[in-house]
Amino acid sequence: METKGRTPAVSLGASVREVFSFFFFLGRRTGKTRVFFLVGMIPVGIAVLVRILMAGRADDLAAVFSEILMVFFVTFYIVILSLFYGTSIVAEELEGRTLSYLTSRPLSKTGIFLGKYAAYTSLIFVMVTASLFLSYFIMNSHRLREAALYGAFLRYAGVLGLGILAYTAFFAFLGTFLKRAILVGLMFGFGWENVIQYFPGSTQKFSLVHYLKSLLPRQPSAGGKLAILLFRLEPSSPATAIISLVVVAAVFVALGCWVFRTKEYLFEE
Amino acid sequence: MTPVIETKNLSKWYGNVLGLSDVSLEIESGITGLLGPNGAGKSTFMKLITGQMKPNIGAVTIRGKRVWNDYRLFSRVGFCPEPDAFYEDVTGWEFLTGLLRFYGFTRAEAADRATRALAIVELSADKDRKVRSYSRGMRQRVKFAQAIAHDPDVMILDEPFSGLDPLGKRRLIKLVKDFESEGRTVLVSSHVLPEIEAVTSRIIMIHQGKILAQGDIHMVRDLIESHPHMISLRSPAARAVAAAFVDDASVLKMTFGTDGRSLVVETHNRDAFFSRLQAVVVEKGIEVDEIDSPDDNLQAVFDYLVGK
Repeated sequence: METKGRTPAVSLGASVREVFSFFFFLGRRTGKTRVFFLVGMIPVGIAVLVRILMAGRADDLAAVFSEILMVFFVTFYIVILSLFYGTSIVAEELEGRTLSYLTSRPLSKTGIFLGKYAAYTSLIFVMVTASLFLSYFIMNSHRLREAALYGAFLRYAGVLGLGILAYTAFFAFLGTFLKRAILVGLMFGFGWENVIQYFPGSTQKFSLVHYLKSLLPRQPSAGGKLAILLFRLEPSSPATAIISLVVVAAVFVALGCWVFRTKEYLFEE
Repeated sequence: MTPVIETKNLSKWYGNVLGLSDVSLEIESGITGLLGPNGAGKSTFMKLITGQMKPNIGAVTIRGKRVWNDYRLFSRVGFCPEPDAFYEDVTGWEFLTGLLRFYGFTRAEAADRATRALAIVELSADKDRKVRSYSRGMRQRVKFAQAIAHDPDVMILDEPFSGLDPLGKRRLIKLVKDFESEGRTVLVSSHVLPEIEAVTSRIIMIHQGKILAQGDIHMVRDLIESHPHMISLRSPAARAVAAAFVDDASVLKMTFGTDGRSLVVETHNRDAFFSRLQAVVVEKGIEVDEIDSPDDNLQAVFDYLVGK
């Protein structure tokens, strides 16, 4: 075997690319991905059902999509996917005791973290987009010739993509230093994120879902005496929402890289 | 000669538990065996010198460069970790080519190297099977393959022989010895004395996180020989066996078990004892169910050495 004279280390870009390729490939093979892909078929099933039950009421279909299916995507599907894949970036290596296969290669720890983050966000995005695509076009199959339909689809996909980037970054960061990151993530994703939306004023801006909902097309809100009990979105501007989500993703990815690079991980033997 | 691996006052503890204490070593090219009973600190040492863990005190260098967080070093280092852990959903081929790509090899180079490494460990025929379906021995071999596939100058092998059948063990021992003839540096750990003895005569003995001795393996053998051996046997005629050895000067002590069938003999001449035992058994027609030599385990040797 001769290898003398080869490059002493892999550049950060190449590290990210190779780690991405390996884990995107590996991620597709896992049972977790198969289960979550099936979960993604729930809105598709709902879309089929709604189309059958609401045949002839085409005008209501857009409302059903944005009020039910998008709520599923924004408040459940991308959160649960980001939680399980984001926290697993480090946790699966520790639990499976495979971390040494990565850290004994000429790869920077930053490259490993970024590569896995990129692989898992891409994998989530593929799953979410497939589900969104099917459910959206089933619901709107009567308007396939309208150009606006495709623009709206891209907008929905873009919003979900931003949500995936931000949530996965946050959960990946939690996973770098918390032993029970999933538990803390569950409390954040399905506790804090839901509860805080019912707070009036600027408090709801301390949730990621606020910015995601700010980017979605809005239906007229319900009025009446009980309106005070209902969730009222006080949206941020689209520019603020996009910048906030991008900043959250960037900050938590940077923090995750820093913790992963400096922390010593001990295996539980 | 300049040491390839050097540790200075290396110490590591886990909370209140001491993993490694004040270890200063110089390891030169060739094969060095790290020998110690389970829990002696071998894996802690291996993890420290491969940068998997950070020392609390002291430093580790490979070819003069500090190991912790210097990932560039690993283009020249191969590490075979001790745990039986893998990415289970990939095939042996995908496992190797995937890891080889981390060195910056092109797809074709990675494929070529994976093919050669799998051939060396005799897994070519099973390369397309998922790792999760491999036997323990196959998993051990593919783990070894990933450590050698990129052709490293320095190889750190943590318990590489565990889980291998005798034939597989012999083949791997030959491979490791071949690396020495190519001028590489190999550090191999084991808790089994004959395994280390089969690959090298240069050893480091570790016990309770401290280096007990460093040098030639024959020194250990001599130390063992200077201490009495314990031999236990089970026989329905244990007392008849004992009676035959009462006048044997090489036997120092005999103890009967409470069941009346077991006997523990202490002798300072094991070979003479076994030779006489064979004669006694044949001559008197004594049935012996089991013979064991507890001294053969490394823990007993180390207990002798540390004066327990």
